[in-house]
Amino acid sequence: MISPGKKKLKLTIRVWRQKGSNERGQFRDYLLQGISPDMSFLEMLDILNEQLLDHGEEPVAFDHDCREGICGACGVMINGQAHGPDNETTTCQLHMRRFQDGDTIVIEPWRASAFPVLRDLIVDRSPLDRIMQAGGYVSVNTGQAPDGNCLPVPRHDQESAMDGAACIGCGACVAACKNASAMLFTSAKVSQLAQLPQGQPERAQRVLNMVAQMDAEGFGSCTNTYECEAACPAGVSISHIARLNREYVKASFCSTAEPTIPMK
Amino acid sequence: MHWLKAFLTSSVGRKFVVGLTGLFLCFFLVVHLAGNLLLYVGVDAYNEYAHKLHSNEELLIIAETLLFAALIGHILIAAGLTFTNWRNARNKSYRTFDSKREDRTTPMSFAPDQTMMLTGLFVLIFLICHLSDFKFGLGWENLGESYSPAQKALLVLENTWRQGIYLVGVLFLGYHVSHGLQSAFQSLGLNHPKYMPTIRRLSVLFGLVVAIGFGSFPIAGLVRSQTNPTSVEQVSPVEGGEAVDAETPHSPEH
Repeated sequence: MISPGKKKLKLTIRVWRQKGSNERGQFRDYLLQGISPDMSFLEMLDILNEQLLDHGEEPVAFDHDCREGICGACGVMINGQAHGPDNETTTCQLHMRRFQDGDTIVIEPWRASAFPVLRDLIVDRSPLDRIMQAGGYVSVNTGQAPDGNCLPVPRHDQESAMDGAACIGCGACVAACKNASAMLFTSAKVSQLAQLPQGQPERAQRVLNMVAQMDAEGFGSCTNTYECEAACPAGVSISHIARLNREYVKASFCSTAEPTIPMK
Repeated sequence: MHWLKAFLTSSVGRKFVVGLTGLFLCFFLVVHLAGNLLLYVGVDAYNEYAHKLHSNEELLIIAETLLFAALIGHILIAAGLTFTNWRNARNKSYRTFDSKREDRTTPMSFAPDQTMMLTGLFVLIFLICHLSDFKFGLGWENLGESYSPAQKALLVLENTWRQGIYLVGVLFLGYHVSHGLQSAFQSLGLNHPKYMPTIRRLSVLFGLVVAIGFGSFPIAGLVRSQTNPTSVEQVSPVEGGEAVDAETPHSPEH
């Protein structure tokens, strides 16, 4: 959508600057002028960084990759909201038309003890990778793609599994949770694989290990405030958390599987 | 028993126990409220209920043990989880935080789901007072055995201090369970689009019923104490612990 007639925005960007994990960070204010409402949020940050480079300052470090809302690399707190004000939208898909001329935009990194800040807006999200490594996979080599309907999967299970698989691992759920809990992230994978035939052999072991790893990484516990669901850019539902709870109880009481020691 | 230890030390397992005990305590609230409402039916009905309840000693011991175990377990595990969350979750808080939940009607810092620890703490303070009044009779020793359960209840509820503590306590209790009930279902893994919206509405309704139902007793006590107080003298004790209510001035409509 091109809107040449729209007024260019003048913004104050209040952004978190931190040189490294062990450095003390602080907010810095930058004035930006001539921001097109058609720019994406990350393009606005690009403009900010060009301006900083012109002034001989270090650019603001932020994670990004695909810039089309599917990779999960980008993600910052914008005015206290994970990925900004829009629902089911990543930071890269947020556009400057959502802001008013003269606004002050506060940009913070995800904050969680499990996600130490590496630099400015970049945090270390490798705890999520380690939760995945603890069981978020199917070990069996499935070979080539099978013929359609070779494995019977009911349509509702298929849809629900796909809803869980939609998680892009951005960490917004952790960022939005008052306990910095990674339950929505963990549950999305547990729920996806629990509903598919390929996930059955490791079903019990998977949930026990992924929860054990999640706890060991120092994420908080879920207190059912459902902020994660609202913040999730992929629209992952908290019903997956309930399925994880169910799977966990079932694995604990109805299987011989035991959690293996979490990796760290 | 390694698996049980793993279950009870994991975040999911602990939440499961909090949910299970919470649901049991909610069930108790329903029974308790039903019993209390007999006070409005009549003093006799209430007394009969109280005597029947206390006639089966074994059952009472089992029920009370279960109840105290559930209550203590609920408090200890929930408090443990909350303190762990407070300590570990976030070493630096956000400069601003704004909810993205569109169904939030109360400001974030007052919402039931954000204040469970605080409302729970107020409920605990109220419970200590309530148990000391009704279970252990502390401060009401002068009533002795000669007053019927209904007369004791009416006298306690006409005390100004008790009216305040009980009213505030049950309001916090209602607030607590309005999130607690649906949260318990979620923690037990019972969430499905086909019934979860009903559970969520039911949870708010349950909170209202608890707050209004239990809250009506201190309010009725306040009205009674202003208009037609039950004094210790007026309630004539009868030999053998059994009391009659013929002379009691309070009428069932309170």
